[in-house]
Amino acid sequence: MSKRIMIVDDNEYVRASVEIICQSVQLDLTSAASGPECLELLGSGFRGVILMDIMMPDMDGWDTIREIVAKGLYSGNIIVMLTGMGEPDSKMDGLQEYVSDYMTKPFGPDQLIESLQYYLALLAAVGDHEQ
Amino acid sequence: MSSNNLVVIGVSTGGPLTLKALFRELPPLNAAFLIVLHITPQMDYRIAQGLNAVASMPVALAEDGEFLRSGNIYLAPGGFHLSLEGNQRVVLYEGARVNYVQPAVDVTMRSLSRPLGGGKVIGVILTGMGKDGAEGIRHIKQIGGVTIAQDQNSSTIYGMPKAAVQTGAVNFVLPPKKIADKLAELLDRIA
Repeated sequence: MSKRIMIVDDNEYVRASVEIICQSVQLDLTSAASGPECLELLGSGFRGVILMDIMMPDMDGWDTIREIVAKGLYSGNIIVMLTGMGEPDSKMDGLQEYVSDYMTKPFGPDQLIESLQYYLALLAAVGDHEQ
Repeated sequence: MSSNNLVVIGVSTGGPLTLKALFRELPPLNAAFLIVLHITPQMDYRIAQGLNAVASMPVALAEDGEFLRSGNIYLAPGGFHLSLEGNQRVVLYEGARVNYVQPAVDVTMRSLSRPLGGGKVIGVILTGMGKDGAEGIRHIKQIGGVTIAQDQNSSTIYGMPKAAVQTGAVNFVLPPKKIADKLAELLDRIA
């Protein structure tokens, strides 16, 4: 089963926190500090659970997802949005199908681990489209 | 045991974990369950597999032309709208997005007709961004159905449930565990 996680966040402290949490349960974490870095990693073959910050300079989380979809890089991934805000604004319209979950920072380690493990289990199931 | 009872559940962001929380609490009940989750064709099978691992009733993707059967859980596949003929026969079709999404909850719920022969129709709206499902809930209420929305505290995003509640057509506002309890109260249990 793939155990790959990607954190996409311009805040290094958030990236470090997620790294500590993932290490505690032996999950393989890849870090990206921006939307373009995330796209580059996906282009290089990353597949797994993507924890995507919304508020990032230049290319925010929503624009990054639009690029992921436009470039055909969505398949094989699950996207979970991370936010310091409350509920999302209308920039999410049309992206609902690609966003599986939405977590508000700060999040507890147990909550994050439970979510990640369930999403990794879902990714381990082989879809009809991939057989 | 078979019945004309039908439960349609509309859900979006936060759905995979919320559905897991709901269905792991639900005993086998005398109704067909149809879930409309905003989902892509790349993910639908995985979600069905994940739910199948925790639910007490079998879970499968709904197929075009099939008749829903009581005691089963169906997930609307990604990339299509799903309507029901006679509240039982699945019709999948590609069309314009409704409320920015496909499948859209409103499309499925608004295709339902007044149940015959004492059957129950129950509409449930769970967490999600936007307002998809609100018109569907209003419709279900109009045809004599029971309507339920997830409460704000337990919703990952209180968009769809809020829009449903604002129609004034929701009977019960509850967290997932209590939604399971309410469904068990409204429907007979099957062995």
